Amino acid sequence: MPLPSDRIKAWWRCFAVQGSWNYRTLVGGGIAFGMLPMLRRIYAGDPVRLAEAVQRHMRSFNGHPYLCAMAVAALARVEQDGIEPETVERFRTALRGPLGTVGDRAVWAQWRPACLLISVVMFLLGAGPIASAAVFLLLYNSGHLVVRTWAFVKGWEAGLAVGPLLKDSWIEHFTRRLWPLNLLMLGGAAVLLGTRLVRAGAPAGLEAPLLGLGVVVALWAFRFPKQGGRLAGALLLLAPMVWWIGDLTR
Amino acid sequence: MPWSELAVGPGTWMLLVAAGAAFGMDAVSWPQVMISRPLISATVGGWLFGDPEAGMVVGAVLEIYALRHAPLGAARYPDTGPAGLVSGAAFAATGGHAMGALLASVVVGWALGWIGMVTVHVRRRLNERVLSPAADLAADPGLLEHRHRLAIWLDGLRGSVLVASFAVPAILVAAVAASLDWTSLGGVGVLVLTLGVAAATGSAARASSFGVRGWPLLVAGAAVAVLLIAGTSP
Repeated sequence: MPLPSDRIKAWWRCFAVQGSWNYRTLVGGGIAFGMLPMLRRIYAGDPVRLAEAVQRHMRSFNGHPYLCAMAVAALARVEQDGIEPETVERFRTALRGPLGTVGDRAVWAQWRPACLLISVVMFLLGAGPIASAAVFLLLYNSGHLVVRTWAFVKGWEAGLAVGPLLKDSWIEHFTRRLWPLNLLMLGGAAVLLGTRLVRAGAPAGLEAPLLGLGVVVALWAFRFPKQGGRLAGALLLLAPMVWWIGDLTR
Repeated sequence: MPWSELAVGPGTWMLLVAAGAAFGMDAVSWPQVMISRPLISATVGGWLFGDPEAGMVVGAVLEIYALRHAPLGAARYPDTGPAGLVSGAAFAATGGHAMGALLASVVVGWALGWIGMVTVHVRRRLNERVLSPAADLAADPGLLEHRHRLAIWLDGLRGSVLVASFAVPAILVAAVAASLDWTSLGGVGVLVLTLGVAAATGSAARASSFGVRGWPLLVAGAAVAVLLIAGTSP
């Protein structure tokens, strides 16, 4: 049975779960790396079964990196419970989808943009850069640590029964409420940033027409996000060229 | 601070390269606390060159551009940690005021982000070899731990090499841009950049929303900001 100190070591290793990410096994190497402090305890004195377990868990696996802590803990639990390897493999496969979907939708699509936009808006409204950066890092990582720790603790407690924890989880409930706030802040941040740029270097009197044109462009990019991203990149390259050409032809 | 007065010691350059390693590792390998976001890395770059505010201005533009990219599965996206650091440092090093330097710093930062993405791809391929042969690593778990940690350090090395290779050229480009005369077309350049920010905003908003029904909120946020600006303008 893994000691609490083994579980703490495994939890800490989950921060590096993507350290050897590659196209063949994705995060598989990191899962095995994370589980090792617990696997060594479970298979103490039996190097053959330890090697078999490590090889099992080095196989291809994917999931959101923060929620991979749940996979590390739950897979160690099923090894501890002596579940047969075929069931472990099926369990691994079943975990992949939900761990990726829940984490991607909650953390990458909502929580991270929300914390970043709070920081950007604070800065553009006059807060200092160090304070704005600190707010982002503290706010974001408070949620980050809660998710990683919850995932690890619940994974160890539940073992094979982690499925219901992910289905309709509190993480999704919480972050699903963030998207309206994110859109509000994104619209506000764009106007504040655009105004700052325009006031610093554009000809006077163009703010209002630019705002109208900017809203049209933003809504078009919202409707067609892929093309909008390409347009944004093209305009980014065009901006210094327009200015440079102007300087050359002066 | 004019470019001609820029005098930074070797300690600053060493810190810059060390920060490049930390930001290079953070995005994927360890510990994913998001110091690698351009908003943070550009601010640190600006701070190292004496002007965190200038760094954060560049970082805010790059962040709006970066928001639409999410690290889903094997997706490829700009590596914004080292790129933000270099671009924030470049704008701060050239005084943090000239619009030409801002445009140049943002463009250099975005281009370096895509170059960084190529190095991330190479690293992903390299990791396939680092974790081979799997049977040997399974038989010797200590070797697996060693190889996994090696992969993390290689990612840090990747970030520091990127910063060491591109910091001086980026600062030179920003310095040249800052030294050129500001013409009326420069103002047009700012307008073009602002429209680019608008396009990036719309694209990022869609990535954060569930379907297309959220657009009124985007407009409402813009309207609130306009009211705030109108209320604070003299």
